Amino acid sequence: MKNALKVLLIEDNLIEIMKMNRTVSLLKAKHTITEAKNAEEALAILETKDNLPDIILLDLNMPKINGIEFLSILKSNPDLRHIPTIILTTSDNRKDILECYRIGISGYILKPLKYEEYVSKIDITLSYWSINELKSA
Amino acid sequence: MSQEKIDILQRTLERERAARRAAEKILEDKSRELYELSEELKVTNAKLKASVSEKTSQLAGVFENIIDAYLVMDLSGNVLTMNDAACALFGFDVSKESLNVNHLIHPEDAAYTRASFKELIKKGTFSNYTARVYTKTKEIRWIQINASLIYDANQKPIAAQGIIRDITSQKVFDDKLIESENRLATLILNLDSAILLEDEDRKIVLTNAKFCEIFKIPVAPEMMIGQDCSNAAEQSKSLFKEPDIFIETLNEILKEKKQVIGKELVMNDGTILELDFVPIIEGNRYKGHLWTYRDITLKRQYRRSLETQKEKYSSIIANMNLGLVEVDSDDKILMVNQSFCEMSGYSEEELIGKIGGKMFPIAKDEHIITEENKKRMAGESNSYEIHVTNKKGEPRNWLISGAPNYNIQGEIIGSIGIHLDITELKTLEKQKEKILKELEKSNNELYEYAHIVSHDLKSPLRSIDALISWIKSDNEGTFDEETLQNFNMIEATLETMEKLISNILEYSSAGSETKEAESIDLNTTMDDVKRLLFVPDHITINLLKKLPIVKGDPTKFQQLFQNLMSNAIKFCNKEQGIVEIDYVEKPSFYQFSVRDNGIGIEKKYHERIFKIFHSLHKNKESTGIGLSIVKKIVDLYGGTIWLKSELGEGTTFFFTIKK
Repeated sequence: MKNALKVLLIEDNLIEIMKMNRTVSLLKAKHTITEAKNAEEALAILETKDNLPDIILLDLNMPKINGIEFLSILKSNPDLRHIPTIILTTSDNRKDILECYRIGISGYILKPLKYEEYVSKIDITLSYWSINELKSA
Repeated sequence: MSQEKIDILQRTLERERAARRAAEKILEDKSRELYELSEELKVTNAKLKASVSEKTSQLAGVFENIIDAYLVMDLSGNVLTMNDAACALFGFDVSKESLNVNHLIHPEDAAYTRASFKELIKKGTFSNYTARVYTKTKEIRWIQINASLIYDANQKPIAAQGIIRDITSQKVFDDKLIESENRLATLILNLDSAILLEDEDRKIVLTNAKFCEIFKIPVAPEMMIGQDCSNAAEQSKSLFKEPDIFIETLNEILKEKKQVIGKELVMNDGTILELDFVPIIEGNRYKGHLWTYRDITLKRQYRRSLETQKEKYSSIIANMNLGLVEVDSDDKILMVNQSFCEMSGYSEEELIGKIGGKMFPIAKDEHIITEENKKRMAGESNSYEIHVTNKKGEPRNWLISGAPNYNIQGEIIGSIGIHLDITELKTLEKQKEKILKELEKSNNELYEYAHIVSHDLKSPLRSIDALISWIKSDNEGTFDEETLQNFNMIEATLETMEKLISNILEYSSAGSETKEAESIDLNTTMDDVKRLLFVPDHITINLLKKLPIVKGDPTKFQQLFQNLMSNAIKFCNKEQGIVEIDYVEKPSFYQFSVRDNGIGIEKKYHERIFKIFHSLHKNKESTGIGLSIVKKIVDLYGGTIWLKSELGEGTTFFFTIKK
């Protein structure tokens, strides 16, 4: 049986957030999407420690604390480092990819131009993580 | 016959008888007298003989005891007696065998011997008769004899006696002396120095060929002996450049009669002579003098040319822009040139005798000099850099090239260092490093910037695409065909825009080396490219030979081939498309070629196609950036790119990559 995932989406672009929500509802999945517009907001959510997300979908390109900095903070926190984090970004900068894997990520997904393609990628990703045994479950 | 006559005859007879009787009586007396006398003589003779024999034996005793050989012979040369030394000398023993001296004489000395013997008979003695004789064993020996005659009571010579000395070894010695004298004479005669030996009256005792040659005397040196030299200088003065000085010099020397060495004289023909004068003094008596003239023209020329060379090098050393320092094995400065003085700020006087390694280097570099000096002592040469301070206390960088210095015996006596002030160079180097670092930083920033910009540009496109997609799905069935077509065109335009942004990003990072060069197997690259490209079935890609391994950024090589090959595929208008990849290896580079049988490119566009945004075919596949990326990468690897093309036949791109 598929798990309904608690997903923390860290994304500053309003349309990207809409895309995610629309995709999840389109897929008729029971996943819960928590939105954070930036890294600070995300950290505030995570700090409460109750109701931690199962996975984090992280955009790299954000104002103030960027994605990689956030990743570093997350992975250096013993209470949070276990949360699988998947990068969802436009950047195919090889340097970024290598750096992210060095710090520790569970996936690196490039945002495609076509919305249909996006839907398919998100479907696969969420399906994959929903069949995984996760800490919180 | 008459009585008277008879009487006369009888009386005569009587007288005659009486006379005969008287005569007989006298004869008888005389005869007796004679007998008596003879008897007497016999006695005397006997006495005499005894006395002679006594004397002889006395003498024999004397001679037998003398060391030199002694011999008595009769006048025919038969040896009567000889002492032991004589026996030893000749090897004969006369008590056992007879011996005649004539048989001993060397045939070459026979005439001389006869003459000497005659002299002996005439004068009674001879002395220092010197001749060769044979011994019994046929050995030749030189002997010297002093001889005298032996006379009997009547002063008649009856024998000869002689004392013989064996002078063979002395003779050999004398011969050697003569030989050596001859050699010496020959040597002097042929000596390369002119020799003139004069006696106290200035008569020539000896001279040689060289002397005749130098003074242009057209006779053999032997002919000169005995000639007076009083006027010789006067005769020869015309040969000299300064005749009066020549005369003056010689007169001065002759007046002083003191040894003179190395007086220089110049002849008219440029010959330079060096004159020695050696007075010969025996006891306190002046016996003459020896003149020696040496031709030193060549030597002088060598010296002059040597001096010229030395001057030349000295001038180079003094004027060259490099500081030169010579130190001894204790690092004490022996010599510096002007440039070094300028470099260091010290004067020559301030530097000579100082310890170089203590004077200049900054404290932490002092050990360098110590180590380098050790290398010099081991005969090593090399260059090194050092931090120093000059007289003003300014820090400078010197590049020193040091080499050991040897003396004539080949022993290391110190070292020579050539100094170059590289402070400015060092500063430039540091600046260059700094600029390079800044450039790298700014390149990285640009790279990051390009990525961020491309992200920022792509995000709205994605949003537009999502929004259009939603509008379409939210209003399914409501839009007419035309509106839907317009939406599709918006989507296609978005795709073109996105590709353009990607290509610009690719182009902007193509020209800079962002990674360390690594070895790339181009065959692997080619496999990757084939996988990435969409190759339609009617197109065959041929690798004509196994590609080489190059050094660089794998991504860039992939971009390079990918762009060229995708063009080849894209612009194929034939039923059977061919893309051929080949290369040739040159000493310093590889030359690759990508050939297709596609549409071809007109000659007038051959230059333009490499410029950014110069696409010949406007469609959504061609952004006009591909070939400019290719060119940028080829440029980056020190190569060139060109093409050969026939419109409608195909195109071959060539490019080189530096090894």
